Amino acid sequence: MIELIQVTKRYGQVAVLKDITLSIDKPGLYCLLGRNGAGKTTLLKSIAGHQNITEGVIKVDGKVITTSTLDTGVSYIENFARHFNLPVRKLLRIASEVNPSYDYDFAAEMMERFELDGKKKFNQLSLGMKTMVSTIICLASNKDVVLLDEPVLGFDAIMRVEFYDMLAESFRKHPRIIIVSTHIIEEIAKTIQKLIIIDKGSIRFFDTLQSVGTKAFSISGLQKDVEAVTRDLNIIGWDTVGGLATAYIFDEPPKQSGSLEIQPLSLQDFFIQTVGRKGGAIR
Amino acid sequence: MTAVFAVVKRLMASNRISFIITALVVVCATSSGDVVLSNGNYTWLLAVLTPFFFVFYDFTKLMHLGTSKKDYFFGCLIGYGFLAFCISFVNTVIHLLIEPVYSAQTVINMMDVCKWTENGIIAAGLQQMFFLLLVMVFLHVLLSMQAHWYGWLTDAVIVAVICIFTPIEPMRTVLSGFFRIIMINGNAGLHICICLLLSAALSLGGIAVLKRKTL
Repeated sequence: MIELIQVTKRYGQVAVLKDITLSIDKPGLYCLLGRNGAGKTTLLKSIAGHQNITEGVIKVDGKVITTSTLDTGVSYIENFARHFNLPVRKLLRIASEVNPSYDYDFAAEMMERFELDGKKKFNQLSLGMKTMVSTIICLASNKDVVLLDEPVLGFDAIMRVEFYDMLAESFRKHPRIIIVSTHIIEEIAKTIQKLIIIDKGSIRFFDTLQSVGTKAFSISGLQKDVEAVTRDLNIIGWDTVGGLATAYIFDEPPKQSGSLEIQPLSLQDFFIQTVGRKGGAIR
Repeated sequence: MTAVFAVVKRLMASNRISFIITALVVVCATSSGDVVLSNGNYTWLLAVLTPFFFVFYDFTKLMHLGTSKKDYFFGCLIGYGFLAFCISFVNTVIHLLIEPVYSAQTVINMMDVCKWTENGIIAAGLQQMFFLLLVMVFLHVLLSMQAHWYGWLTDAVIVAVICIFTPIEPMRTVLSGFFRIIMINGNAGLHICICLLLSAALSLGGIAVLKRKTL
């Protein structure tokens, strides 16, 4: 269980995480979405105890997490993580030796599946393969909380599909809290169960994907009709062109009427509307 | 415990460059004249080089492999203890077997300079081992602090102490007295106890530094 209570992280005067309170109590596959600089990496690093927060408390399974926590029970891997320049197979073996809960069989199986050359040294691998090695090490760690920061960076389309399969398989084998931060929204939607959207250091959304499917809609039509029908709804975004308007809602959709077009929002559109900006303009 | 020994194994394996540099210096160093330095002295180089690798090279990589800070810390301590034993053993062997065949009349080995050999060769070996352990732990803590302001402050304090204490006679006595206790100490029991106590105290400091260490 991960518990964040009024967590704030400042770098100098700049607050990167702002008073975040969040509780993740059930094992599951969680996706952390946010724009560049939204605070995703800072949040994940703080949960992993790789850096200290300025205010608030982070607890994992009841244990307060800071850099002072000598054994956190959290496995975190950052993109571009540097490893010993050793053959991949040896690297995975060492990981199993230094971490008693490590699942070496899973790691070896994944190495075969991704056609990683076990004899190739880490520095000789492509960016995608390096990221894959780091991800395998993190998933095979079998810790109760696994945090993957941009794990599909440098992956081609086939590798990404394989990765999502691996993620699902790893979770099936050992259900635990797995949080994946990514920018490729639609692809991971098939794998994950819950979505966390972070923007400007604050959590803007934390709910199931199902709720996005049943509550996120766009309503288009004449501006006066759209305004009338959405008056009591939770509007997350608004577009107007001439006398026409589109309202983006996260609520129970209104009944279809002749002049209005009601469409479910894609995950990507929902994300864009939730963080409230398109093309850099605040709406 | 298995994880700690796996960490020790990894630390030793990635310390290869230190081993090679030390071995090259020990084998290749030459001096001439009636008074020469024993090549065994250069084995101490390993004690100086090792903490650099443990702190700056191994820490991040081991963390990325899933090592806990606790295992890393104990792994480092065991590694330093093991290396202190090995260095001391090799220097003692050189002192006993190789130095007698030097053509020079006088061969200077630090074990003699520090008066450790006055207590017999086994005690001298032990004194050397615990002194080297102290050196390695001290360097480990000092290097670990370099990413923080207090590391730089400690550097400045050490430099200031040496610069101020050396030219002023009464202070120089204090400074030399300190080195007589931790290094040039003929009392084997006292020397070993002081080295162990200081190593333990520095290790506690090392835990405090490690607890603040970020990735």
